[in-house]
Amino acid sequence: MEKRLIKKDALAGIAKKMAGDLLVWAPVKKEDNVLFAPLGSGDEPFFAYLNSKNAPKNVFFPHTETLMKFTRTPKGMVFSSETNQAAQSVLFGVRPCDAHSFVLLDKLFDQEKYKDGYYIEKRKSTTVISLACVKPPYATCFCTSVDGEPVSAEGADILLTDIGGDYLAEFITEKGEKLAKYFGETKADAAADTKKSEIATKAKESIASKIPAHEIKPILDVNFDNPFWNTIHGKCLACGTCTYMCPTCHCFDISDEVKGSDGVRIRSWDSCMFPLFTKETSGHNPRSSQKERWRQRAMHKFKYYVDMFNAIACVGCGRCVMSCPVNIDIRKVVEDISKL
Amino acid sequence: MQNPYIPYPVIVDKIITEVDTKDIKTFRFKFVNPEDEQKYAYIPGQFGELSIYGKGESPIGIASSPTQKGYVEFTVQKAGVVTSALHEMEEGMMMGIRGPLGNSWPLEFLEGKNIVIVGGGFAFTTLRSLINYMIYGDNRKRFGNITVIYGARNPGLLLYKDELIEWQKRDDLNINVTVDKGDATWKGREGFVPAVCKEVAPSKENAVAVICGPPVMIRFTLPVFFELGFSKENIITSLEMRMKCGIGKCGRCNVGSKYVCKDGPVFTLAELDKLTPEY
Ligand SMILES: Cc1cc2nc3c(=O)[nH]c(=O)nc-3n(C[C@H](O)[C@H](O)[C@H](O)COP(=O)(O)OP(=O)(O)OC[C@H]3O[C@@H](n4cnc5c(N)ncnc54)[C@H](O)[C@@H]3O)c2cc1C
Ligand code: SF4
Ligand code: SF4
Ligand code: FES
Repeated sequence: MEKRLIKKDALAGIAKKMAGDLLVWAPVKKEDNVLFAPLGSGDEPFFAYLNSKNAPKNVFFPHTETLMKFTRTPKGMVFSSETNQAAQSVLFGVRPCDAHSFVLLDKLFDQEKYKDGYYIEKRKSTTVISLACVKPPYATCFCTSVDGEPVSAEGADILLTDIGGDYLAEFITEKGEKLAKYFGETKADAAADTKKSEIATKAKESIASKIPAHEIKPILDVNFDNPFWNTIHGKCLACGTCTYMCPTCHCFDISDEVKGSDGVRIRSWDSCMFPLFTKETSGHNPRSSQKERWRQRAMHKFKYYVDMFNAIACVGCGRCVMSCPVNIDIRKVVEDISKL
Repeated sequence: MQNPYIPYPVIVDKIITEVDTKDIKTFRFKFVNPEDEQKYAYIPGQFGELSIYGKGESPIGIASSPTQKGYVEFTVQKAGVVTSALHEMEEGMMMGIRGPLGNSWPLEFLEGKNIVIVGGGFAFTTLRSLINYMIYGDNRKRFGNITVIYGARNPGLLLYKDELIEWQKRDDLNINVTVDKGDATWKGREGFVPAVCKEVAPSKENAVAVICGPPVMIRFTLPVFFELGFSKENIITSLEMRMKCGIGKCGRCNVGSKYVCKDGPVFTLAELDKLTPEY
C-alpha cells in the first residue's frame, strides 16, 4: 500500500489544490457549525473540527434531488429527460464513522436486483478521504460498539491520521492512489506505521461510551409486543431531526412539481418519525402512533437491517443524541432493550 | 441497465367503467415503444406504479394476464390525488408505468394443485389476472380444480361482469359469485364471502387458497379455511402498504424485515406469521 507523510499545515493547501481540478467537499465553518460544502476558490477548509453538524450523506443522497423532467404536450405530460449528474468529486476529511455509513448505504442502494443509479453514480465518481479521530470528538461517540473505530479505513479510499507533526496518508484503494500526486513525495517509514497503530489503540480505548448494540438483536426478535415500547416516545415531538441528522437513514419521498408547462419529479428525505409517512389514502395507518414509529426506528437500525444486510444501521456518531430537542438518547434505548 | 425510477411511456388505449358508482375503472395501456412490452414481462400478482407526470405515482396491481398480448390493464378505484387524475384521463392520452414490481402469485407452487380463489371488492384485480392465466389454452392442464368465490357489496359493484359470465359457461371452472345484497334483477347468490366459503366448502386435499379482499373479509374468511383444514403454508394473500419507490429503497413499506414492494406483496400466512403484525 502506498503511504506518504505530509506536513500538518499542508493539508488545507492540498484540498485547495484539488479543488482547482475536481469538485471537493470539505469541512467549512458556516456560522456556528461545521458543514461539508463544495470548496469554492476563496473558501478555507477547516480540518481542526470535531465532526460536521450534518452527516455528509447528502453528497451521495442529496436532501432533494431531481430524478427526471417532464413537459406538457397536447396528449398530457410526458417524460423529457433523465437528470443524473455526477461530477468527479472528492469528499475530503470525513470522520471514519461517516465513511462507515457509506458502506452501509451501499448495501441498500446498490443491490443486485434494483440499483439506484442516482446514488451509485455519485458514489462511484467520488473519492472518500477519511480523517481519523485521534482524540474522540464527543462524549456521545460510540463507534466502537457498532463495528467502527476512531482510526479506521472502512469506507475510505485514503485515510489520513495525525501522527504528531505529520499526517500519515494511506492510499487504501486504487481510486485513492489516483490522487496520490497531490500528496507530495515523502514516503512514510515503518516508524510512522508504529506511531499510527499506537495512536489507533489509544484512540479506540478512549471511546468511553459503550452500548450493547450487538446483544439486542435476539431480544428484538422476540419483543415486538413488549410494553417497553410504551416508554420511549412519550416526549418525542415527531420532528424527524434524529433521522435527518443520521448518516445511515435513507428514507425518502417522491413528488412532482410543475411550473408552467414543465415539471420535475424529485426525491427528498423523509422520516419514519412522521405520522404521514405510512398513512394510506383510506386513512389506515399501520404505524398509527409515535410508539410504533419509535419502535420502527429502533428495530430498523438494530434488527431489520441486520436481518436484511447482516449489519447494524448505526455508526455511533451520536448526532441524534446531540440534536434531539427533548434529549431522547438512542444509547439508553439500546441499554434498556438489553435488559428486557 | 434500465433506471427503475423512469416509467415506460404508454398510451391510454381503452377505459372501461366497471361499476355503477363509476369510481372504479379499468385502464388498458399500450406501450409507446413496442419493445417495452417485452421488458414489461410480468407474472400474475405483480404490480406497477402508474405514473402521471405532475401528479405522482400509485402502486396498482396488474389486472390483465400475461397471456393477453399487446396491452396491460389495471383496475383502479378513485381515491386521492393520482387515482383521481387517472380517472380524468381520456383515451389517447399519454402517461407512464413502472414495473413490473414485487414478487407474484407463486405459479410453480400452484401447479398441479387444486386452486381456491377468494376475492372481495376491488382487490379482485390480481386474482382476475391469475384466473385468466390459469384458464388460458394449455395452461389449464397444469392446474387441478379451480374454485372461485368472489363477492361484492351489490351487483353494481362487481368487476369484470362480462368475464364472469364467460367463466360461468366453462365446465372446468367452479365460479361462485355472491353479493351482500341483491337487487330486483339479481338472480345469483346472496351472502357474505365467508358464509359462501363455508357453503362451498372446498376440500383441503392438495389445495391452495388464494385470498384477497378488504381486511374484514379476510378476518372472517381465514377461520373458515382453518376449519376446513387448510394449513398456513397453503393460504396465500397479498398485502397493501403505502408505497413510493416500489423497489425497496424509500423505506416506507416494510413489515418487519421485509419490504412489501420488493419481497411481497404476496405472502403465505406462514410467512406473515414470522413478520411483525404491523400492516
Ligand atoms: C401492491 C398494491 C396494489 C394495489 N392495487 C390496487 C388496485 O389494483 N386498484 C386500486 O384501486 N388500488 C390499489 N392499491 C391502492 C392504491 O395504491 C392507492 O389507493 C393509491 O396509491 C392512492 O393514491 P392517490 O394518489 O390516489 O391517493 P393520495 O392519498 O393522494 O396518495 C398519495 C400517495 O401515497 C401513496 N399511497 C397512498 N395510499 C396508498 C395505499 N393504500 N397503498 C399504496 N400507496 C399508497 C401513493 O404513492 C400515492 O400516490 C394497491 C396498493 C398496493 C400497495
Ligand atoms: S442512530 Fe444516531 S448515533 Fe447512530 S448513526 Fe444515526 S445519528 Fe449516529
Ligand atoms: S429528534 Fe427526538 S423529538 Fe425529534 S423525532 Fe427524533 S426522537 Fe423524536
Ligand atoms: S415502496 Fe419504497 S421501500 Fe417499498
